[in-house]
Amino acid sequence: MIEPLTDVVPSFFAMLNQGPLTLTIFLHTIIILPMFWIYKQEKKRLEEQK
Amino acid sequence: MANENLSVWTSIPFWRRSAAWVTGFASILLIWLTFDTLGQISMGNDADLKAGTTKRVPGPTVINYKITYEMSKKRGHEVPVIGEKEAFFGKSDYSEKEARALLHLGKLTSQAKNCMDCHTLLGNGAYYAPDLTKAWIDPAWSKTGPMMAMTGKSTREEAMAEFLMHPSTYPTHARMMPELGITAEEAKGLVAFLKHMSSIDTNGFPRNFGKEEGSTNAQ
Repeated sequence: MIEPLTDVVPSFFAMLNQGPLTLTIFLHTIIILPMFWIYKQEKKRLEEQK
Repeated sequence: MANENLSVWTSIPFWRRSAAWVTGFASILLIWLTFDTLGQISMGNDADLKAGTTKRVPGPTVINYKITYEMSKKRGHEVPVIGEKEAFFGKSDYSEKEARALLHLGKLTSQAKNCMDCHTLLGNGAYYAPDLTKAWIDPAWSKTGPMMAMTGKSTREEAMAEFLMHPSTYPTHARMMPELGITAEEAKGLVAFLKHMSSIDTNGFPRNFGKEEGSTNAQ
């Protein structure tokens, strides 16, 4: 399932490169997931304010 | 009534925090990528070449060796192969200092004569004239190509240097290269610069450069 490293210089991004979309999916995931948390926190804060 | 007017989407702190997170994360990522790239682009040295250590950018003494390309099944494109010793202007024992000085002269000349005004070097420059990233392995300059006969020289590097010194004497292209007043020493530096550039592992860029004999994707 995990493709072997093909880059000349081993790095985290080289390991991540399993195909054309893996970097995009990985970055979107780690950027967007904390935004759910920010959303929930803000919602809670607004409800408490009311 | 309780939640009717309660919308996070209209809350300024929500957008402020989201923007701060995205900007902060992107900044950290860019700094990380910068340091990650340094490892990829740092130049090797003579010891690496002698030990056969693969470097994306080989040391300057790579001009002492034969450079060819081979299809790598694993990586899916051609990769540079640094072969046996090969004379460069009749010499194959350039010291690291001499080779570095020659490459430096070539780089400065390429900047002074503004090669990138027409040519592309490692993806930078124009596409008016041929891409020079892998110019060294261009079969036009090989024994079977037309350039050696045209310039009356018997080696690739001498033919290239001769052409660079008097480009308008040799009609090669509808878009003729102008006379740039390149001296013999500068031409030598430029050819060394081009030879070194051809040895850089560019992940198969530019496509279809592998016209040299033995190349899998030869066209």
